[in-house]
Amino acid sequence: MSQLKDKLFQDLTDAVVNLDEDKTRATAQQVITEGIDAFEAIDKGLTPGMETVSRLYDEQEYFVPELLVAADAVYGGLEVLRPYIKGENNGKLVKIVIGVIEGDTHDIGKNLVRIILETEGYEVIDVGRDVPPDRFVEKAKEVGADVIALSTLMTTTMEGMGEVVELLKAEGIRNRFKVIVGGAPLSQAYSNKIGADGYAPNAKSAARLIKRLLTAEPVVA
Amino acid sequence: MGEQNPKQRLLNVLHQEVADRPPVVCIGGMMNAAIVDVMNTTGHTLPDAHFDENLMALLAQDVARYTGFENIAVPFCMTVEAELLGSEIDYGSLACEPKISKEAFSSVGNVSFPEFKGLPDTCRANTVIKAVRKLKDKRLDDPVIASITGPFTTAASWIDPITFIKEMRTNGLGAHRVLEHVTEVLVEFASELVRNGADVIALGDPTATGEILGPSHFKNFALPYLNELIDRIHKLGAPVIVHICGDIKPIEKQIMNIRGDAISTDAMVNLKALKEAYPDLTTMGNLSTYLLEFGNPEKITQVTRRLLHDGIDIISPACGLSTSTTLSNINALTGTVKKKSKK
Repeated sequence: MSQLKDKLFQDLTDAVVNLDEDKTRATAQQVITEGIDAFEAIDKGLTPGMETVSRLYDEQEYFVPELLVAADAVYGGLEVLRPYIKGENNGKLVKIVIGVIEGDTHDIGKNLVRIILETEGYEVIDVGRDVPPDRFVEKAKEVGADVIALSTLMTTTMEGMGEVVELLKAEGIRNRFKVIVGGAPLSQAYSNKIGADGYAPNAKSAARLIKRLLTAEPVVA
Repeated sequence: MGEQNPKQRLLNVLHQEVADRPPVVCIGGMMNAAIVDVMNTTGHTLPDAHFDENLMALLAQDVARYTGFENIAVPFCMTVEAELLGSEIDYGSLACEPKISKEAFSSVGNVSFPEFKGLPDTCRANTVIKAVRKLKDKRLDDPVIASITGPFTTAASWIDPITFIKEMRTNGLGAHRVLEHVTEVLVEFASELVRNGADVIALGDPTATGEILGPSHFKNFALPYLNELIDRIHKLGAPVIVHICGDIKPIEKQIMNIRGDAISTDAMVNLKALKEAYPDLTTMGNLSTYLLEFGNPEKITQVTRRLLHDGIDIISPACGLSTSTTLSNINALTGTVKKKSKK
């Protein structure tokens, strides 16, 4: 049993790394058929697979198309496995509201961050592109978010990020959310200046940043 | 050598002939210099100028006059091509550029390929063509640069970009078919621009970056269509500038295979090193637009001098300018290039 379990977990990892969604789904199905724990299959099969893909992406072995196809494989595996997660592991997911600040054309970067976060098990609420600051605050309140992630590629819209922080302060709810920022024109210095909790230069480091910010929190997944 | 006029100078550099000094240009499209300061001064404003060839031509001339860039450039956005193909556009405001609000298709799988019967009279592509004609008729000393969005980026503005990028892997044939159609439409647009007097065509393909595609997809899905478009423009006699966004390291070896007449790069690219590695390459760039917006004239002058010292062939901003960039900063860039002592 344990041997089969290890083999299936390895198969899941390999299927994700090989960008094979069908194989990922089929293996996930086999996990269920064999009565193996679904949460463990995600944790030891799918997650290491996406971690390897992220590493290959960092190393420029894989590029955005590969990252997207691997993410689809993970989504496929999760779809099969999630209904079978039992008990305490199925608790509250960390919720992240993400979007591109008002006035911006681009959202490829934001989508990459969303995809990486989703494949790492976060619940991501995507408010889209060209989003005014108050909409981020409303949505974060509505869904009870833990993190607000703001992105921009244009210097003209950077100020909108500071506005989100100011709106949270004005409503006296700044401490309820971690606010992180990313996008080409930004820096850690800018993050500090507007009073955000952190800056991430790319999708993978956004995931690391969120993990770090939430480590001290009781809600960690 | 006597002083050349800006058109001669730029064309000489693009034809690898002797120029008295590097030109300083801004190619329009995604990299346009229609900043708020200029528009508020002259009253020729966006978004109105996106729709009216007279206003577009006037604004293009205002930009050249106030910024000191040695060319006239149209249009002021990179949505003309996607609109032509049926995507929905948000035209933006005075300070904010137009953007795609909704791509025409969600996936290459559900694209319907209409037979392309040339450019309709009422499209904004035609507005750009008419503006070029008006500028040509003024017989200016400055070259008229018409900017076009490259095939890959146009395809990723016609079809949901994330899906399209993924479908290079999952539906390669479908992606190629889309790119072939897009290229055909762009060839027609570019040809009309040249026939109506564009001296130079600039291609910006900001989605087809080394960082997004990597070497293999760039070679298969970006390069052939870029080259097809360039070859067809060359047949009509116009030189082509190609702007590549982002870090070119993953695709550096492919750069020499782009058959354009100059390669313009983003700020993080070391143009001096690129020039040393590929001496035949005509390099263009790459003053940081972040520095242009937030720096001061002294610092901009210093960086511009370094670009001149490094032998960069054409001096220009590295990327799209923020509309709140100041004229004093832009003039530090253009003024420094113009002050370069004549050979």
